[in-house]
Amino acid sequence: MTSVRPLLASAWMGIQHDIAWTNPVLSVALRAVAPFAAAMTVSIIYWFGSSNSAAGVFNPQYLAFVLIGSTLYAHVASYAWVPTQAIAEGKNLSVFPHIYITSRSTAFYVAGRALSAFVISTITSVAALVVAYYVLQSFFGVQIPVLVTGSSALLFGVALIANIPGALGLGYLLGAYSLYASKFEWSLPGYVSGLLMVFSGALFPTTTLPWPLSVGAYYLPFTQFIAAAREALLPGTSGSYAYPLALCVLGGLLLFAGSLLVYFAAEKKARKDGVIDRRLA
Amino acid sequence: MSVSPWMRTMKARALVRLWSVFGEPLWVVVNMGFPVLSSLALSLLYYSIGATNYIGFAVLGGVMVSFWGNVLWSMASQFNWDKQEGLFEIYLTSPASITAILIGMSVGGIVATVPSAGIVTAVGWALFHPAVDASWGGVALTFALTLASLYAMGMVLSSLYLTYGREAESFNEVLQEPVSMLSGLYFPALGSQSPFPFAIQAAASLIPLTIGMDALRKTLFYGNNIGQVWEDLLVLAVMAGVLLFISTFFLRLLETRGRKQGTISVRIR
Repeated sequence: MTSVRPLLASAWMGIQHDIAWTNPVLSVALRAVAPFAAAMTVSIIYWFGSSNSAAGVFNPQYLAFVLIGSTLYAHVASYAWVPTQAIAEGKNLSVFPHIYITSRSTAFYVAGRALSAFVISTITSVAALVVAYYVLQSFFGVQIPVLVTGSSALLFGVALIANIPGALGLGYLLGAYSLYASKFEWSLPGYVSGLLMVFSGALFPTTTLPWPLSVGAYYLPFTQFIAAAREALLPGTSGSYAYPLALCVLGGLLLFAGSLLVYFAAEKKARKDGVIDRRLA
Repeated sequence: MSVSPWMRTMKARALVRLWSVFGEPLWVVVNMGFPVLSSLALSLLYYSIGATNYIGFAVLGGVMVSFWGNVLWSMASQFNWDKQEGLFEIYLTSPASITAILIGMSVGGIVATVPSAGIVTAVGWALFHPAVDASWGGVALTFALTLASLYAMGMVLSSLYLTYGREAESFNEVLQEPVSMLSGLYFPALGSQSPFPFAIQAAASLIPLTIGMDALRKTLFYGNNIGQVWEDLLVLAVMAGVLLFISTFFLRLLETRGRKQGTISVRIR
């Protein structure tokens, strides 16, 4: 229980920080705007490219592929960088020193903040997906073949949860950097989001990338997460649900364990070097 | 020959921005991340569906998203951040013109964003060789007028954000993606190829970036010269002038109101 309490307290603080600055419903609605617009942008690009190119043919199945993938990379990107933000902002606002002088590692605080961001991001991503689904159907006059049943929703939810270790691992890795530096972290959301757009198979199959990038991208836990979640809502796109889910969990746990070790080492060294509360690098 | 205080203020603010970026090369890396990677991803999306003749749209979008990001995060939010750091009070108590500070910020921001935009272009060109049929005079004029009107919009936002506290960053996050979508950074948002109904196209036309992107695509990829896009150029020029006037008006209004109510330098609300 001594580990659960700081985790829950941090998660609650994250909820307060992220959505309590105004009316919570308004705040969540505002947070859904960016993933909705991003999903619309890439879906429209697919529609425009395939409709106007001699080689391409507009396929609603592929539109669903792009729509689901774009919502999911935005979901991962929006909570994987939260540990970095929590540390960087905490240092700037002098909150972080109050965390690190407690008896627990700051890793609990970071994990709690990431979990609260996961919950918020899940709500906003699903809302963005639903709204974009209906708006795109109305714009293009087509039926987008997304399967929504109780079991598909359950499988989708399991895939979202299975991705937490991988995303938290990425968060710890970036957070370890933030303990030392205070500049680059502001661009990390862009980098995380951009890298996921390119390498996670969100917008196009990883086979589009040249070898060996295609192989590396395929085995990323985030790629496998998107494949499994997509298979739940769009059966037949990944060939299997269980296999990518297993790869996602396995890769995610490896990344989580490795990143946690890096974070602990960075935290220990940052305390020793006296830079853990340094605002400017 | 002495330079007017207005010009000196403008130059000084522009130099601060330039030093902050070029004095620390890491900032170029910081700024280029999202434009380069998103442009690459969307180029690959066009490539994967066989629409290779439109890859140039994704590269151009990456270039312009660099400037749009700069307008949002380094123009619109800047006075709000300056207020939190205590710098805005110094601006107010000095004889420097606030408009000159904003224009200096814009000029410095444009020059500081050029390396990021250049890297997007170089990466896109090297990897995809997008087909270009350009009227370079038209491209240059359209680009200049698009930036002028876009940064004038940043000045309006900057003045409006003075009235906000912590909400400003959330508003920026809300604005960034929808404006990118509506303005058609990566696909045509106006005309027969647009996916949007007429009403949305009309609303999107109020954003300078929408008109600018449309004209840039015409001049860069379809060989339209200045004579063929003069209406777009005229609209952009008018937008730049009107937005500059509005920003000056708002600044005066909010400054006067802030002084009267004693809220002009309240840092966190």
